[in-house]
Amino acid sequence: MIARALAFGFAGLLAGCAPADDRPEIVVQRFFGECGAAYGTSTDVAAAETECGILTTLINRFEAENPDIAVKVNVVAWPGYPQLAAQIAAGDPPDLVTMHQSVIADYSGASLIEPVEPLLAQATVDPGAFTPAARAGVEKQGRLYGMPWDTIGRLWHINTALMDQAGLMRDGRPVLPNSPEELLAHARQFRARTGKPYLIQAQVGAADFHVALLYTYLLARGSVIFPDDRHIRLDTPEAREIVLLFRQLNAEGLTTLNRDFPAATAAFIQGEGGIFPVGTWMLGPYEAEAARPGSALYGQYAVAPFPRLWGEEAAFVDGHAWVVPTAQRSPEERAAMARFLGFLARYNSDWSRTGQLPAFAALVETPAFRALPHRADIAALTRTGRQLPGYVERQSAVQGLIGEELEAAITGAKPVEAALRDAERRVNQLYAQML
Amino acid sequence: MRGNRLSPLVTGLLLLGALVMLAPMLWTLLLSFKSNAALMADSGAAFAPPYTLENYAAILRGSLTLQWLANSLIVASGATVGVLVLSSLAGYGFARLEFPFRRTLFVIVLLGLAVPEQAVILPRHQLFAMLGLHNSYPGLILPSLTGAFGVFFMTQYFRAIPRELDEAALLDGASRFTVFRKVLLPLTLPAQATLGVFTFLAAWNDYWWPLISATTSDYFTLTVGLASAQMNYAQTSGLGFLMAQAVFASIPILVVYIIFQKQIVRAMAGTMVR
Repeated sequence: MIARALAFGFAGLLAGCAPADDRPEIVVQRFFGECGAAYGTSTDVAAAETECGILTTLINRFEAENPDIAVKVNVVAWPGYPQLAAQIAAGDPPDLVTMHQSVIADYSGASLIEPVEPLLAQATVDPGAFTPAARAGVEKQGRLYGMPWDTIGRLWHINTALMDQAGLMRDGRPVLPNSPEELLAHARQFRARTGKPYLIQAQVGAADFHVALLYTYLLARGSVIFPDDRHIRLDTPEAREIVLLFRQLNAEGLTTLNRDFPAATAAFIQGEGGIFPVGTWMLGPYEAEAARPGSALYGQYAVAPFPRLWGEEAAFVDGHAWVVPTAQRSPEERAAMARFLGFLARYNSDWSRTGQLPAFAALVETPAFRALPHRADIAALTRTGRQLPGYVERQSAVQGLIGEELEAAITGAKPVEAALRDAERRVNQLYAQML
Repeated sequence: MRGNRLSPLVTGLLLLGALVMLAPMLWTLLLSFKSNAALMADSGAAFAPPYTLENYAAILRGSLTLQWLANSLIVASGATVGVLVLSSLAGYGFARLEFPFRRTLFVIVLLGLAVPEQAVILPRHQLFAMLGLHNSYPGLILPSLTGAFGVFFMTQYFRAIPRELDEAALLDGASRFTVFRKVLLPLTLPAQATLGVFTFLAAWNDYWWPLISATTSDYFTLTVGLASAQMNYAQTSGLGFLMAQAVFASIPILVVYIIFQKQIVRAMAGTMVR
């Protein structure tokens, strides 16, 4: 009986001993959701849709084309930084990670991620090929801490039917303002002729929206928002002027009020206002609405970068990048990682179908990209997009603080001067507490 | 009987209260049966047909959903069994046995009630990393076993049981462990059920520790796995799927509640410790 049990156990052990996989393994950690049901086995990148679908298919294809590399994929809850921090603390970080470019400084400043120039060289990816906006997103203290994957920014999504009704279309294109005074004039004209608000805005629980607005127009005016890595400058005449303009839009009822992001989205789709300033990532859903008969946007949708109201054309942008957490790795593993980055770089044009802008300048000029709906209208963002200086850290927390104050100021709950003063004080306090 | 009947006013207020409590759950349920596209245009569409099962189908088609469900069951069940065993033994010890520093130790246990999980998360994470326990079932279960509430709860329950029962059994020649196992433990079943349900619910709903301990998809619990499956801006362009996830994750909890309804209600009413 004992012998039989031993034999059974031994057989079990043998069965458990699969042949050792001596392929180099790379652990790829990403957000963008899980869509294995739809794309679990697909390798047809051109047929894939959505961020999740395209990335899942890309990784499937890489595995199919590179059977000598074992790829382990971790899909993490958005944005995945608590998990990444835990993995780094536990000494077991993944090899390649999706990261927002605005977050990179938090990790590069503490040497938690590596400069990637050697990997890019190995992958024959030329950093000179990145768009200015994309390169600025990954360049910190003169080093490249990631391979940029796209540029994301805010756009004006426009209901052209209502703009036409308001007399704000010329030659089939929306007429956008060129100054604060013109913005108010357009908004008043729009309200008078359509009875609807000119702007649809997410003003509740939308800190990032308020901050993007303020950063965009401060950067356009050449204002220095972060004079160094421990201070912000918001209590300025320029900032007051910008916030006062948007407060006035609220006060005159020229924008929707008290809406969060989903409610503002629904309002735009239902044609309750003219322009919805929101990100590049909503291009796809609105295009779909514009193609759906019966929709308020059917055939009546246009998109444009934020208009130049002050200074030069500029827009605060962010983006996604592939970064490499600092760790000991074998040359074989590094070669595998380089091959993966090179593969992704070759397929960057497919990623731009998501609505995000390509990270490689050459792609922006290709007929294929220009042929995508509305992309020619927003391609300028790759040039005019502005990132914050590479030494600026803790943007997630900082934008939360500024957003709270701006929300109070724009909705009239707090005087503009006090809100900007408090925002500056709170952010500087945060920086003062950092080690 | 007449004296027990509630007045129409009280009944009305209770119904109103029940409606207020139920409304968000019903809304969640209705949203989960609507397509994402319909909800993006108008979340009020939840109140009118057509309804669809596509969101639930999408969850079940997810390649790892059943694995995450199994992980949650293993972790929640493991935590529940562990807490019941340890808390019963410790509770019996504190309530019935005399040993050095008993009171001091009990005070230390009580102090544990005042320490939030966040305060110990960093050293615990480091400890588990040193022991190689991350991305493992023990790594997910063990932290639940250190909760002070179960020990306190069972101690109080054992204290409420008359000592005469122990003494009679000891006179009959039973050992301490036999007294515990055959005399007192059966009397604590209502408390065990209550503690078990609370522990299961807490372990099932836990998000923070599994998020940072289970960092590979194979070990995600359902809460972390479903969160990872969401696209960015799910509240706008994937609202139906988001709500279906919420409903799906709460189904096992609902089953547990239905089975142990009596114990939970008794515990909430504060009558479980006689």
